[in-house]
Amino acid sequence: MQFELSHVDKVYVSSEENKVFGAKDVNISILEGDFLALVGPSGSGKTTILNLIAGLLLPTSGFLKHGGKDITSMTLEERTQHRLDYMGFVFQDYQLLPILTAAENVEFPLQLKGFDKKEIKQRVEWALAQVGLEGMGKRFPKQLSGGQQQRVSIARAIAGRPQLILADEPTANLDSKTAQEIIELFLKLNKDFKLTFIFSTHDQRLIDQVRTVLYVKDGQISEKKVHNV
Amino acid sequence: MRNLGYLIKFSYRNLFRVPKRTLIMILSLGLGCGFIIWDLNFSNSGSKEMMKEFLTQYAGLYHVTNKDYYDQKNKKIFNPFKTMSDEELERKDLIEKSTRRVVAPVFISGEKKTLGVLLTGLEVEKERKLSTLYKTISAGTFLEPLGIRQVILGKKLAQRIEAKIGDEVAVVGQAIDGSVANDLFTVVGLLDFGGGDLEESLAFTQFASAQELMALPPDRFHQRVSFDMNQEEVPKLNTLSASYWADLIPEIGVSVNFIDNITWFACIVIVVVVSMGLSNTLMITFFEREQEFNSLNIIGAKSKWITQSLMIEVFIMGTCAILLGVLIGSAATTYFYYNPINIELFTGGKPIIMGGMTIRPMVRIYAVSQYYWQVPLLIYFFLSLTMIYPILRVIRRSQNAI
Repeated sequence: MQFELSHVDKVYVSSEENKVFGAKDVNISILEGDFLALVGPSGSGKTTILNLIAGLLLPTSGFLKHGGKDITSMTLEERTQHRLDYMGFVFQDYQLLPILTAAENVEFPLQLKGFDKKEIKQRVEWALAQVGLEGMGKRFPKQLSGGQQQRVSIARAIAGRPQLILADEPTANLDSKTAQEIIELFLKLNKDFKLTFIFSTHDQRLIDQVRTVLYVKDGQISEKKVHNV
Repeated sequence: MRNLGYLIKFSYRNLFRVPKRTLIMILSLGLGCGFIIWDLNFSNSGSKEMMKEFLTQYAGLYHVTNKDYYDQKNKKIFNPFKTMSDEELERKDLIEKSTRRVVAPVFISGEKKTLGVLLTGLEVEKERKLSTLYKTISAGTFLEPLGIRQVILGKKLAQRIEAKIGDEVAVVGQAIDGSVANDLFTVVGLLDFGGGDLEESLAFTQFASAQELMALPPDRFHQRVSFDMNQEEVPKLNTLSASYWADLIPEIGVSVNFIDNITWFACIVIVVVVSMGLSNTLMITFFEREQEFNSLNIIGAKSKWITQSLMIEVFIMGTCAILLGVLIGSAATTYFYYNPINIELFTGGKPIIMGGMTIRPMVRIYAVSQYYWQVPLLIYFFLSLTMIYPILRVIRRSQNAI
């Protein structure tokens, strides 16, 4: 598996004279098992890059490939299917469906994938166990703490066994202790299952523990740091 | 199929997101639906009861006549020279619930005045059995079955020609052999149509007396008037002609149709108004979930899936509302079946004058089966229209990035 962004530009045009680069000549190669963070201040373009990787935004120029397949040439529906097949998402504000229980939230992408009942049950139990929420599947999001909700969100992301997990500021809404627990969970999943993680963050605790840090400034990768963790 | 099951479950659960709001939407649509079903049943039963009351009084459901008796273009015009007999009637089964009449346009003279009227010869006993004409007698008596040359006059007519019960009035017309028909008739009763126009232009006598006046052979007459109100269609005849009441009194038919159409129109207006309110609420409901739709799309739910889930959600809600509406409509209809409504409640206590006759029906509301699928279909149709705009907007706006 390899996600590759090659000379990717994303230009936001509000008028002929007013063009803003959300991403400028971005070149990133993401390999299996990577644990990578896009770091930068608000408006630097890190979320734009995350969106480009997810196929939620199309580049103005450049290529975006996954395993040799050109994502930019896919239709909207094909890109949605591509996300469902290969990616998991963790959001800053969890984005759990309030009408579904924790287990049902985890079940949601599996239902979209069309797994059978037995397979869904096994995967949901496995995912909840991985995030330490065994026995809490029947609770609704409002009955869970922030940290627990983020764990459900992570379980939802990993239940489909994706190749890549994209996490947008996953620790921003959590207190220090919970944030640390979540970071440790990411590390464990990365280590145990060779899951690839890409974070968009400015949380120093997370930055300190990722292997690769890509600093984003004005839509460009301004610096790359590799930690030996 | 499994996916559809999950979609339905997912959509159903969404109804409990804001239960009070869902309940209000179901109640408003359900009440609207129930009212419409009841209103249509009421309108239909009201029209039928009024027509029944009107037709059984005198006019009848249809007239079997000689093919040339009524003018084909304007059935208000008739030719008294065109008669018929029962021998010409191929459907003898029609005889039981119909009565023979001889209709003669004549002049009738009291002591000081002469007026043109329609003198109708009635089979007295049968008329008593089938029509309610005898109930309109306000003074004197109805015609005696074996009596001869007795006449009952409309109250206004009697006033205008200054005739009283027991007086003799002269009747002059033209017999069908072309001779002048004239005879003296004794006034035995007065008819009260509640002041309607017919009080001024109608007079009735025995069948045989009218035949004699018109120089008709004993087996010949002008009309066989049917009072078989359960009959849905006018019989198809070859040698004779059957004319439906709505063709004979088109102004009444038009009024009834107009009332029915207005009722439907009012019902559609109600559905549109309720739908607009619903559309607004749906828009608010969907927009509140916009970020959620966005997230669903990010994690892999296609626009089609989201659209389907919203449509199913609205469909489930609509179905609940319709079931409630059918229940309410049926309950109200049943209640007013056992407790008929006096139509005068809607006229400020005044009687309704229809075709020159006064009617005072008590409307017993019957359930009309077709409304129980027509109204739900109408609601589903407007519900579909209602959700197009909110869903389109939501889908268009939910395809955003993280």
